[in-house]
Amino acid sequence: MKLNSIRPDDNISELLKTDLNTGFRILVEKYSQKLYWHIRRLVILHEDADDALQNTFINVWKSIGNFRSESSLYTWLYTIATNEALAIINKRKRNAAVSFDDLDSYFASSLEGSTWFDGDEAQLKLQNAILKLPEKQRIVFNLKYFDEMTYEEMSRVLKTSEGALKASYHHAVKKIGNIIVND
Amino acid sequence: MKKFNDIPDKNPFKVPESYFEQVNRKIISATSGYEQEVRKVNFYNRFRTSILIAASVGGFILISFAAIKLLTPDKRNFEVSQVLHEINPDSIINDIDLSLLEENASSIVLSEEGTDVSKKDIIDYLLLNNVDINDIYEQL
Repeated sequence: MKLNSIRPDDNISELLKTDLNTGFRILVEKYSQKLYWHIRRLVILHEDADDALQNTFINVWKSIGNFRSESSLYTWLYTIATNEALAIINKRKRNAAVSFDDLDSYFASSLEGSTWFDGDEAQLKLQNAILKLPEKQRIVFNLKYFDEMTYEEMSRVLKTSEGALKASYHHAVKKIGNIIVND
Repeated sequence: MKKFNDIPDKNPFKVPESYFEQVNRKIISATSGYEQEVRKVNFYNRFRTSILIAASVGGFILISFAAIKLLTPDKRNFEVSQVLHEINPDSIINDIDLSLLEENASSIVLSEEGTDVSKKDIIDYLLLNNVDINDIYEQL
């Protein structure tokens, strides 16, 4: 069952206006898992994803008064979550002595990281290939491939034209295919 | 459309047990300590249009003033050149006191201190130019 079908976003938006606390609780319950996996695929480590997820909802709470109900709640949440994930990645890049170009080096930076990955060899290969993509392409690929987001929604999240996103996804798929075949 | 069909769709990442129940509770209790941002309309936002119009008008006036100042010829310079143009060179000569000029010039030319030329040299020069000797002594 798709999470979006649990309670339509329009109802949540209305509830946020009339009963903020209840509306926010429903919002968290509906979106925390979905946003967590989106963030996790970008930051890889559970501890980073946990931080970014909490920061995402704190920012949502703080700025919910500025949210315009005519915009999509779903894309607004993904925009905030993506920005939080990128902030964590940049922080890690600044503090890292070595670059993270595969999951092993990523997990080596955290004692618990590898405990929370149980994929098989093919999945490990795919995740390593995704990690080798440029940041923007990585986000586009994840949103399309795993979250099955439409280009129209993605364009609102990333403030990029649909044409550019299609090209970006096409390049990402091609690169990942080459990396998996040649690895 | 999934391109990598040979790779299982299963999510390869794991989370600690009951993580989502815990994190949801954590988020709800954490946010209760945060104030919500109310969209504040500050002075600039409230009068934004008026400020922009005033700035545009002010800028236009300033540019116009500078353009007028730069493109119009300077009236004072114009008057001076006009005056100089109108002066007849003959009238300048007429205004010079010739007797005073002659007096000052002769004192410089004929005094021995002011020049290296002696009286004798002057007399010789004038004689060579057929000037009457009597005239010469009369002048000296």
